[in-house]
Amino acid sequence: MKLKKKKQNPEIPTSSMADIAFLLIVFFMVTSVFSVTRGLEFQLPKPDEEEMDQTLEEAVHIAIDRSGNDCVFTVDQQMMNLSDINVYLQPKLMRNPNKFVIIDPAPTAPYRCMVDAFDELKQGDVKNISIPTQAEKASWGDVM
Amino acid sequence: MNLKAPKRAESYIPTASMADIAFLLIVFFMVTTTITVDRTPVQLPTSLQRTEVPKDAAVIAVDRSGVVHFSDGEEDSRVMNMRDILPSAAFVMSKNSLKFFLIKADGEAEYQYIDQVMEQLRQAAVRNIAMLTDQEGVVG
Repeated sequence: MKLKKKKQNPEIPTSSMADIAFLLIVFFMVTSVFSVTRGLEFQLPKPDEEEMDQTLEEAVHIAIDRSGNDCVFTVDQQMMNLSDINVYLQPKLMRNPNKFVIIDPAPTAPYRCMVDAFDELKQGDVKNISIPTQAEKASWGDVM
Repeated sequence: MNLKAPKRAESYIPTASMADIAFLLIVFFMVTTTITVDRTPVQLPTSLQRTEVPKDAAVIAVDRSGVVHFSDGEEDSRVMNMRDILPSAAFVMSKNSLKFFLIKADGEAEYQYIDQVMEQLRQAAVRNIAMLTDQEGVVG
């Protein structure tokens, strides 16, 4: 008796591979949280930087305070709207592109007011923005 | 003449490459997603100017009432005393002196908290900081 042996083709089942892969995709999409990684860059001064002192007196001084929910910007002792700050600064920057601008928010002012002013200065291409901390200001004494 | 009925072409959708496409998508999502180290819910302030900041930066989150969360960029953030930022930041800086520090503060937080954070970062000789913001004009 002759037995015919059928040869079976060896094969890896791949039809469910797509299902597995899509399951993984859905898992990653559901679990991943998108983080904000964009913002305003700022360079802190070196702790021993002294060059500020000479330019301090010519610097533009922007004081920020709150009045209710609004921000109040006082540029060189004049109250100003946020959009007027750059109008005021541009002639000064034309004469001296390295003009120092000091942002000085009051302790109780909301953080967003400071960010608004900082954003405005960045749009006006101000190169030297300084945000002194309370401790720094104390060390400057009466210059301001 | 006997004409045989034409052979019917079997219709099927080729699914062999489906797995390749799916895995390509997986790889894309894995590469582009960043794992967040800080989940403090804050309402970020908005700005028009925004620049991309490095992904492995340390994060200091300040919420509306001034509670500080700190993360070195690798571990998840944890609540920290305002005074403890200086030693933690100094330790991070000792490993990488060019490290970026992200300030993720609520727009309504009082500035004095950010001031204290900045003062300690300055003492820790941090140079590069970035203030996280949302795009202005976009709600949410």
